[in-house]
Amino acid sequence: MKASRRHFLMSAAALSAVVATPETVWAAMAQDAAAPWALATADLEGDVAPRAMRLVRGRAPAGLSGTLFRNGPGKFRRPGGSATHWFDGDGLMRSFRIEDGQVTLAARFADTPKRRTETELEAVVTPGFGTVGDARARIGSNDDANAANTAVMVTGDKVWALWEGGSPLQMDAATLATERFVTLRDDLKGMPFQAHPRRAPDGTVWNVGTNADQAVVWHLNADGSLISAGLVPLPRASYLHDFTATERSLIFVLQPWVFAQRRMPFSTQFAWRPELGTQVLVVDKADLTRTRLFELPTFSFFHLGDGWEEADGTIRFDVAANRDASFAIEGARVLVAQTGTVPGEPSVLKLVTLHADGQAEMTSSGITAEFPKGDPRRPCSRRDLTVHVHGERGDRPLPNGLGIQNWATGVNRAFLFDDTQIMEEAVFVPKPGRSDESDAWLVAPSINLAEGVTELHVFDVAAVEDGPVATWRADVALPAGFHGAWKG
Amino acid sequence: MIRTAALIAALSLTAAPALAQSAGTLTVTFETGADTGAVMFGLYDAATYDGGQPIRGARLDVAAGQRTATFDGLVAGEYAIRAFHDVNGDGQMNRNPFGMPTEPFAFSNNAVGNMGPASWDRARFVVEGATVQMISIR
Repeated sequence: MKASRRHFLMSAAALSAVVATPETVWAAMAQDAAAPWALATADLEGDVAPRAMRLVRGRAPAGLSGTLFRNGPGKFRRPGGSATHWFDGDGLMRSFRIEDGQVTLAARFADTPKRRTETELEAVVTPGFGTVGDARARIGSNDDANAANTAVMVTGDKVWALWEGGSPLQMDAATLATERFVTLRDDLKGMPFQAHPRRAPDGTVWNVGTNADQAVVWHLNADGSLISAGLVPLPRASYLHDFTATERSLIFVLQPWVFAQRRMPFSTQFAWRPELGTQVLVVDKADLTRTRLFELPTFSFFHLGDGWEEADGTIRFDVAANRDASFAIEGARVLVAQTGTVPGEPSVLKLVTLHADGQAEMTSSGITAEFPKGDPRRPCSRRDLTVHVHGERGDRPLPNGLGIQNWATGVNRAFLFDDTQIMEEAVFVPKPGRSDESDAWLVAPSINLAEGVTELHVFDVAAVEDGPVATWRADVALPAGFHGAWKG
Repeated sequence: MIRTAALIAALSLTAAPALAQSAGTLTVTFETGADTGAVMFGLYDAATYDGGQPIRGARLDVAAGQRTATFDGLVAGEYAIRAFHDVNGDGQMNRNPFGMPTEPFAFSNNAVGNMGPASWDRARFVVEGATVQMISIR
């Protein structure tokens, strides 16, 4: 009996191994159809315990020590329904700790009410930026829909996972354990704290949040405590992902993608109205009622570079400008579908100049770029260099390299991998005890599609075109992240 | 989100004498995130839940240690609760400058809404004999 039962079980196992099930056929077809960059939006099924990365290129730069924190969506699909837009996956906080030439990688999902609900229901039900959701959603407040998936801000021993429409989610910097949503003041609970806070020369932090044609302005100490908050009426209810600042001013770039109707998902609230042009509202930090409005030709954007003001009152800042909002609407959906063509054109790095006489203009670098970043030693100060990801093309929707634009000389230096790499945003890490803009490293991960793993690269700003001076390889692939922050 | 005015109005009404023959007793206990102020809540039926006046209402003095209220003489049937915690005791449901509530609110069954108050279908429960609701409001 025993033998025959075992024989039967073994036969059944053997049979199931050779007979294709519908699931295996569908999986194989999906694999065939998926774009070569599909790992960028793959699902990670759980947290990644701390593990060493292996040095595979160059050598660790002496003096480079600290942690790169990065945030970005890490899971999109569940059996009963999925996120269909890149901005709606569950926030995955990653840390790349560099110490004594060794790199340790860890990643944990932000433990949000949204993720808890959807884990329980085995379905993505929460409406988001571009995901419809369904009637099972449980949203009593905006933070119930908070994916905590966009960026990260370091405050002491904590990191804040930032989203666009809700509170910061505090996580422990050492363990990445989720602690709580941050309420900066009881009467401001739930007010949006966007994903791109800006550091001022005095070490304080400015940030904004928007609701239709109103903005809240946050001013924080470096430890994350609130100094003040105020409201600014905006001249139009424009989609705003990022703002910038000079020492004296806050700068809101108001693209003509404007509120048209209250509905979900969020992106369907906006209409592209190119005839309106793009406006720039400059607000006095010391008196939020003092504003100036500039007019620019129509463009769309997500990200700005740090701003600065020159002696004659001229204000300058970078923008990764696009012709329209098609990436936000359709491109980010294609990325999660992992098949099809991302419409439109990649963004181009441009420099906006606001003259003291009220005139405004833009200078194009002509260079395909996203995620513009400047030297953190020069907050709100004139600088020449802007770092950016590079290499995005129509047939390849994600970048494969880094570039550095020198606005003083007009020269752009870049390094491109081949298409087996998806390059992520770089942070600018000053070399200890040095002050020149080029005395810095760029630290950034990529997804190595050929190896199917995540890598971490260090570039020298002075010779970015030579490629990484060091590369470490993980034994796991993390989906592409959005934004990072360095803790030295 | 919550119809605060209706809730507060309900608190000033004297509870109507129970007339029903089939009487149920409902005991509602709140687990609060703060030990200050008061929890204010209303009990509704299907006809009144979406915008009508509560059938019963209560104010629990959280600062004085109250967490539980009991309603006697309820007609057996389906009910739902809308509650908010007036943490600072100013008699209002405070909101942030964008209009979102800053004080905790909750519904029976600990139901959560879908971009609004919890629906009747999520919040309703049956009162029959001695019935208990535990509501977390934090």
